[in-house]
Amino acid sequence: MSVPDYMQCAEDHQTVVVVVQPMGIVPEDQFFRIYKRIASVSQVSIRDSQRVLFIRFRHHYPPENNEWGDFQTHRKVVGLISVTSCTTAKEWPQTSDRFHGQKEVFGSTLYDSRLLVFGLQGEVAEQQRTDVAFYPSYDDCPDVEKRVEDFVESIFIVLESKRLDRATDKSGDKIQMLCVPFEKKDFVGLDTDSRHYKKRCQGRMRKHVGDLCLQAGMLQDALVHYHMAVELLRSVNDFLWLGAALEGLCSASVIFHYPGGTAGKSGARKPSVSSAADAGKRHRPGALTSSGISADTSAEIGRAKNCLSQEDIIEKYKEAISYYGKYKSAGVIELEACIKAVRVLAIQKRAMEASEFLQNAVYINLGQLSEEEKIQRYSVLSELYELIGFQRKSAFFKRVAAMQCVAPTIPEPGWKACYKLLLETLPGYSLSLDPKDFSKGTHRGWAAVQLRLLHELVYASRRMGNPGLSVRHLSFLLQTMLDFLSDQEKKEVTQSLENYTSKCPGGMEVISLPDGLKLSPVPFTKLPIVRSVSLLNLPVSLRPHKVKGLLGQGLSSASPFIYSPITMHSRGDERSKKIDFQWVQGDVCEVQLMVYNPMPFELRVENMGLLTSGVDFESLPAALSLPAESGLYPVTLVGVPRTAGNITINGYHTSVFGVSSDCLLEGLVGVKSSGCMVEVVPSLPRLQLCTSLPRSAHLSSEDLSTSVSLQLFNGETQQLTITLENIGTETLNTLELTSKTLSTKDGISVTGLPVSSPLRQVLKPRTENKPVGSDASKNEFNHVKTLEAVLTFKYSGGAGQVEGYYRELSLGVRVDVEPSVFFTRVSTLPATSTRQCHLLLDVFNSTEHELTLSAKNNQDLVLHASECQRMAIQVDKLDFDSMPVTDHDALRQATVRQQEEKRQQVQGGLINSTLDIHWTISSIQRHGEASVEGVLNQLILEHLQLAPLQWDVVVNGKPCDCDVIADCRVGDAVPLEVKLTNRSKSAVGPFSLTIVPFQDYQNGVQNYDLQDAVTFIGSNTFYIGTVNPTENSVCVGALLFLYTGDFYLNIKFQDDSTARDLPPAWFCLPSVHIKAQEPVEL
Amino acid sequence: MAVCIAVIAKENYPLYIRSVPTQGELKFHYTVHTSLDVVEEKISGVGKALADQRELYLGLLYPTEDYKVYGYVTNSKVKFVIVVDSSNTSLRDNEIRSMFRKLHNSFTDVMCNPFYNPGDPIQSKGHQTAQTHLPGNF
Repeated sequence: MSVPDYMQCAEDHQTVVVVVQPMGIVPEDQFFRIYKRIASVSQVSIRDSQRVLFIRFRHHYPPENNEWGDFQTHRKVVGLISVTSCTTAKEWPQTSDRFHGQKEVFGSTLYDSRLLVFGLQGEVAEQQRTDVAFYPSYDDCPDVEKRVEDFVESIFIVLESKRLDRATDKSGDKIQMLCVPFEKKDFVGLDTDSRHYKKRCQGRMRKHVGDLCLQAGMLQDALVHYHMAVELLRSVNDFLWLGAALEGLCSASVIFHYPGGTAGKSGARKPSVSSAADAGKRHRPGALTSSGISADTSAEIGRAKNCLSQEDIIEKYKEAISYYGKYKSAGVIELEACIKAVRVLAIQKRAMEASEFLQNAVYINLGQLSEEEKIQRYSVLSELYELIGFQRKSAFFKRVAAMQCVAPTIPEPGWKACYKLLLETLPGYSLSLDPKDFSKGTHRGWAAVQLRLLHELVYASRRMGNPGLSVRHLSFLLQTMLDFLSDQEKKEVTQSLENYTSKCPGGMEVISLPDGLKLSPVPFTKLPIVRSVSLLNLPVSLRPHKVKGLLGQGLSSASPFIYSPITMHSRGDERSKKIDFQWVQGDVCEVQLMVYNPMPFELRVENMGLLTSGVDFESLPAALSLPAESGLYPVTLVGVPRTAGNITINGYHTSVFGVSSDCLLEGLVGVKSSGCMVEVVPSLPRLQLCTSLPRSAHLSSEDLSTSVSLQLFNGETQQLTITLENIGTETLNTLELTSKTLSTKDGISVTGLPVSSPLRQVLKPRTENKPVGSDASKNEFNHVKTLEAVLTFKYSGGAGQVEGYYRELSLGVRVDVEPSVFFTRVSTLPATSTRQCHLLLDVFNSTEHELTLSAKNNQDLVLHASECQRMAIQVDKLDFDSMPVTDHDALRQATVRQQEEKRQQVQGGLINSTLDIHWTISSIQRHGEASVEGVLNQLILEHLQLAPLQWDVVVNGKPCDCDVIADCRVGDAVPLEVKLTNRSKSAVGPFSLTIVPFQDYQNGVQNYDLQDAVTFIGSNTFYIGTVNPTENSVCVGALLFLYTGDFYLNIKFQDDSTARDLPPAWFCLPSVHIKAQEPVEL
Repeated sequence: MAVCIAVIAKENYPLYIRSVPTQGELKFHYTVHTSLDVVEEKISGVGKALADQRELYLGLLYPTEDYKVYGYVTNSKVKFVIVVDSSNTSLRDNEIRSMFRKLHNSFTDVMCNPFYNPGDPIQSKGHQTAQTHLPGNF
């Protein structure tokens, strides 16, 4: 006997074997349909006896096993059902012959047989035979089960008769020696008359009767017989049969103790071996039925005595197995006994002892096994280990079985079977093929063996011809076992992955296996590893701003409190937290990931993009290459939201080694994120700003979108053209321009924004110097000053404007001002004319270049580097009062102080424009203006101011001023006219003037004693009455020169109280120079 | 002669495994891995019956054709497994016990190392050298 039945269990001892076989050509599916129906009759209650007969149906039974039928009767084939197709009556005789031939195979042991004929109709089919049943077709056979029941009953009758026959054997009769096949030759020449031999025969027969009783449903009788057999056989040391008797005892006791059976939920039974749907239906005769009446009437009495206790069952099994072990040829019996014992122990939950039995079973050598038998053996071992809860052992043997499927000795390796078995080992190695189980917490299980298993899965699936599957397994291996791979292994695994994916790219779809297992996709969340995800705000110039008035709407619903110290804190919400900036529809948005490459080689990540929800999002994938074992590496993923709303960044997708993965952030461990939800506002126009000057690299402030910087000398003018272009898709509806100076602490301002057109601007930064108090502060001007101003363009349009959003574009202007010239000291000197004066400026050239200074109506002054020179400019005195007042409203509103400042500023401007001082540095082609505004003080201003009382002196019809010499003749009367024009705001006068003539000898001596030389015609004193504003008053007198010579007239004011209230500068009359000549001879 | 020594974490993954014929290391991985079935069975059995008893030594877990596998469980459910060559019959139970005790001491030293992160694979040189002093040329 060489073929073990690994499915056997203790209760099989009470069954009888019936073989169901096809005869001739029977379609396989039809046969198994009939077989199933036959096998459903696995237990039959025998009429009038309350006993039950259990049948094991087999469609295949090795005849050599049948030869052990005397040893254990449940191995004996007692019934045969043949199934055949027969269409014509002609074939019938032939069929009938073949049926007889088939009976011969098990002929020696058969109790009865049946033939089921399908397809035959007509005369032949009409005949009534007990051993043959005719059916018109496989579908039309309603009473198959009934037939089988009848057949089983007939078997029972034979069985019962045999039992009674053997049981009632007189001890005096010659008892047949039962033996197993391999014993036969041992008995040749043995003394059959010895007591020893007789006892042996008796013992074996007792055991046999016990078997028959058990099969016939007489449990208690069986126990009694077994006990007797044990005693008999023990006394003659017939170990093999002693073992069998002990096992019989165990089986009967097991049947008694466990009426539910030990085979478990029949799941262990394979349909190909036996599809007996007998589980559950089994009803053990030993059990007390609900009515309390035992089916076995033989004896309630003595049950406790004869039946083994649960402990004893195992002990006896052990003993039996040890006896079997003595015989090499009884390997199958021993193995089956072990399996039966394990099943019992599994029910008793004695795993340790069960494992000992199994360990023993592993070592039972059955000689040469076919590969298929090996596979079966390992699979069964695996199942049994699983039964006792030894998951790892079970997995181990299952894996061995899997390897056996593809052993090199097998001509056609069963990779599919191997793969299937390997999948079944997964739980034993605590390995799940769902990457989600790995993403949380630390790795579970034994990495080395898991790694091995995964490699085998990859290999098996590849050999199966399913590259998609092997890619999936390999991806899984790489993703979950990364920490356990050596650098070399990492290289190898990725290389083979790339090889596989070149033929079959890996994706994110779920792979469904034929047996229902679903392989979830494996996103490569560790290639690269992402440490943080942060959504980036738009660049300053593109950020949307909410119009202030509408802001309140958004805040209202959140809380009735403006501020609450209690913050709603929930950990899980962190990722769904809304970020407080906005993105704009249609504009490129960025998300920055900090990633690193855990691989020892360069990692190429292709097609890396964002996964989003909530808004239509066009992801613009990026490809990147991360150096080997890189540190944290920033990666910016970009995309364009196509609609407005709230967008959530769910994750990212990558393509690495030909496997594309969708990595969701919620499944990632250790990813820092400040929130992944952001609002996308409707689209807005987008302005691009160009300046005529090159933009500067550094932005002085974060809020600036662009910045220009330039270097100018103090007083230089630079024109800047700003071009704005709408490069967005929305129409720009509004544009608002504001400017702001950033640092005004030094009294520097950017002035003048004459907004003539919204698109064209002239910016004229004019700098003002700090008033110079003394030379000591000279150094202060030697350093470069930086002026900064910001131009802000607010614009809006499109759908965004409707929602109340606008954008801001700001241009920073940064000017580094280098000192050019400045005035260290200013003073005035009166000029010869009362309407003019000399302004003396000490000019310092602080540049490193030669500088030419020019003023209106004045000679150019050349100044070398760091040279200081005095420059005198003759200026017409200025009439500040007549200056136009630009803004009446502004003046009215301003304070007195502001008015004063404003006035000074205007005066300064006027002076500047009058002076019009320019500098030119010819060497570097630069020029600019120099302002004196800052250096003017009140005194100088007064000096420069034209007196409000304007005096005009006319001699001999000629207006006199300084340097003008009036001619006259001696002896002629010279008319003298003094005219006062009042330009002040109040009435002046009355005044009295005295005219004093004198001669200047040009040597410091002035002669006033001129009574003989000059005579006044009339009074030498004039009287001027009150002069109202804008009016004038003229007084006329005459002089008579008696001698020739140069005379001067000094017009003096009478020391009059009225004149004292007014400043003396107002009474600055020109001195008159008269040259008296000889009269012309007529 | 001990051919393989393994330290297994409470969660049943190896903290340390070392075998003498290094080329067949995977075989010992399987041997030790499957022995965990028996270890678990023994622990659960002890837990039920004798909760107070603190016998850490589990004895022979199972014999295979070539090796005998012995087990030991600390109170913190860290398992030690020693695989011994079956042919070496001279090795007594007491000697196995003392090997385990030494192994336990060495493991305690590793745990005392402030730089050791419990749960990480043991890479301590001290641990290794301690084991080389175990009987059986380890």
